[in-house]
Amino acid sequence: MRNPAGKTILYIAVSVGALVMIFPFIWTVVTSISPGASLTTTPELIPDNPSLAPYAELFQRVPFGQVIVNSLVIAVVSTVFQLITSSMAAYVFARMPFRGRGAIFLLYLATMMIPFQVLIVPLFVEMKSLGLINTYAGAILPTIASAFGVFLLRQAIGTVPYELDQAATLDGAGHFRVFFQIVLPLVRPALATLAVFGFLNTWNSFLWPLIILRDPLMQTLPVALASLQGQYSTQWDVLMAGSVISILPMFALYVFAQKYIVQGVAGTGLK
Amino acid sequence: MKKSLVALVALAAVAAVGLAGCSSSGGSAGGKTTVTYSNFISNGGNEKNLQAIVDAFEKANPDIAVKVTTTDYANYFTKLQTDLSAGTQSDVFDVDAGSYATYAADGVLAPLDGVDASTYRTSVLDTYKTDGKQYGLPTSFSNVVLFYNKELFDKAGVAYPTKDWTWADEKAAAEKLTDKAAGVWGDYQPISYNEYYKAVQQAGGAFLSEDGKKAAFDDKAGTAAADWIAGKSGTVMPTAADGAGTADFDTNLFKDGKLAMWHTGIWMFSTLGDLPFGWDVQVEPGDTQKASATFSNAVVISKDAKDKAAAQKWADYLTSSKEMVDVRLKAGWELPAISDDSLLKPYLTAGAPANRQAVFDSLENVAVAPQLGANSQKIQDDVTNALGEIAAGRQKTADAIPSAADQVTALLK
Repeated sequence: MRNPAGKTILYIAVSVGALVMIFPFIWTVVTSISPGASLTTTPELIPDNPSLAPYAELFQRVPFGQVIVNSLVIAVVSTVFQLITSSMAAYVFARMPFRGRGAIFLLYLATMMIPFQVLIVPLFVEMKSLGLINTYAGAILPTIASAFGVFLLRQAIGTVPYELDQAATLDGAGHFRVFFQIVLPLVRPALATLAVFGFLNTWNSFLWPLIILRDPLMQTLPVALASLQGQYSTQWDVLMAGSVISILPMFALYVFAQKYIVQGVAGTGLK
Repeated sequence: MKKSLVALVALAAVAAVGLAGCSSSGGSAGGKTTVTYSNFISNGGNEKNLQAIVDAFEKANPDIAVKVTTTDYANYFTKLQTDLSAGTQSDVFDVDAGSYATYAADGVLAPLDGVDASTYRTSVLDTYKTDGKQYGLPTSFSNVVLFYNKELFDKAGVAYPTKDWTWADEKAAAEKLTDKAAGVWGDYQPISYNEYYKAVQQAGGAFLSEDGKKAAFDDKAGTAAADWIAGKSGTVMPTAADGAGTADFDTNLFKDGKLAMWHTGIWMFSTLGDLPFGWDVQVEPGDTQKASATFSNAVVISKDAKDKAAAQKWADYLTSSKEMVDVRLKAGWELPAISDDSLLKPYLTAGAPANRQAVFDSLENVAVAPQLGANSQKIQDDVTNALGEIAAGRQKTADAIPSAADQVTALLK
């Protein structure tokens, strides 16, 4: 930059912005190490007597190890299925013309507008008839298809030049080979993005696991944390400790996926 | 292409079978009756105490096993409604005074026979009676009293609240105690429906008409009550803009020693504990008469319960047995709604505050909770909104109260 003063101002502005963004997380971590803390209106950022007692109490009150495993299993399996179903559906919508394709795609997209609260009772009755209440399958099944994922990947596949498909078809490839060996490797960034979104949504999802998972040993993280809230008052230090632990895997995933996104730059490959 | 297709299908099938196998097996004890019980009363620290009561019950009744599910209060009713729609509700489940009417109206509760009414406090027991039939048994009750900060009273030279105080006394004291410069407020009372229906009765009026079909609070008493509640904001109490009404705002204000008088429930006793300034409680002052709000939780039995006799045995035990009273009093876990005061004596000497007798004195004049019917939540929201508008100065009492009364009458079914 030519203007060093402008650069300094820019850095200051960005630092202030970063501080504002990070502040709630700092407050959460500080509350989680101050035993007996309540979320007062004036945040006290320097704890009086920091200790890990809230974490100890958290592990006593909630079977945290099992809860994290439950959350991980459900989130991972759900994300994998979302990737599979969304990429295949997106390929069809992008590459296989048939009558009514546009209408069906719009209809599918319109389902994103239905609030989930409308669906929980019929879904629950259906799960009950299938005998899947309080099971991993019951928690995962409603989440294996993602309209958002189809939309995202259809756009991504649409940017892959059709000439590549034609070249592969000339070499004798059918739809499956084109899908797995040509198109999919080229939309890796979109797949990584969908993986992050899907994992985040399933990891944080509260309403459906609340309804379908009954046993405290089967619950996921958000549901287990909600049970820490009493009828009249809440132990904020323990709740914040739980929140800190629940953020960590998401943080790790994002760091990992971000590297992947940067690496997966699509080459052209046209001859 | 065929090979990868087959592989894919096989993978999906294996995954499905594997996931189905992760289901938890429902245990059925051979020869024993199992009573399922879903609750919110033990959530938030009392799970072990409930388990102690369950163990004592199972010891006394070796042929009945109780299976407990606990959910936090905020999400309990979502789960309950989903369960009732799908037919998976527990045999015995919790309700509270506010939600009882909805479930009784839906017809999902079994009437209880052979209930010994003398075991329970009449006013609390009658809350769960519809059309002469008893549907619920109260597990605990709590009421709202006036908390006060003794140190602030001493500093301002104001005499402590007595049982005979009226609104005028409270107002005078609050004005003397408020010191905005020092950030000290005189009197905090939540601006909500729950405080309003009680204040209307304290002013000598009623929230609903005798037959419960019309709103009756757009009269002198209702207007006086609205002025009383909404008028505090900004004068002796922080405004909503200052943060009044947000979670724990009043608790923290009182704990920090910045609030002289506070209308809140006795459930706060254990949360407050011993504070550096002295504090005590007193019966809430009324205007022409006293009326203290009483809340309670109860257990009800589902109409579709398989073994209603066993379910009722558990409900009786949970609500009136001596073992339950001992567990509750030792743990400081709310007050059971039994009528035998001698059993509750340990409560009076259990620590701060000193004047725990006020809790029982308040039961002499109970504010009757209006039966709002199926639109109960909407009515409560509308009244709370109207009071909020008056407090913020956006509407005058003379306009807001009649229009709220019309809204309520329309919502009563």
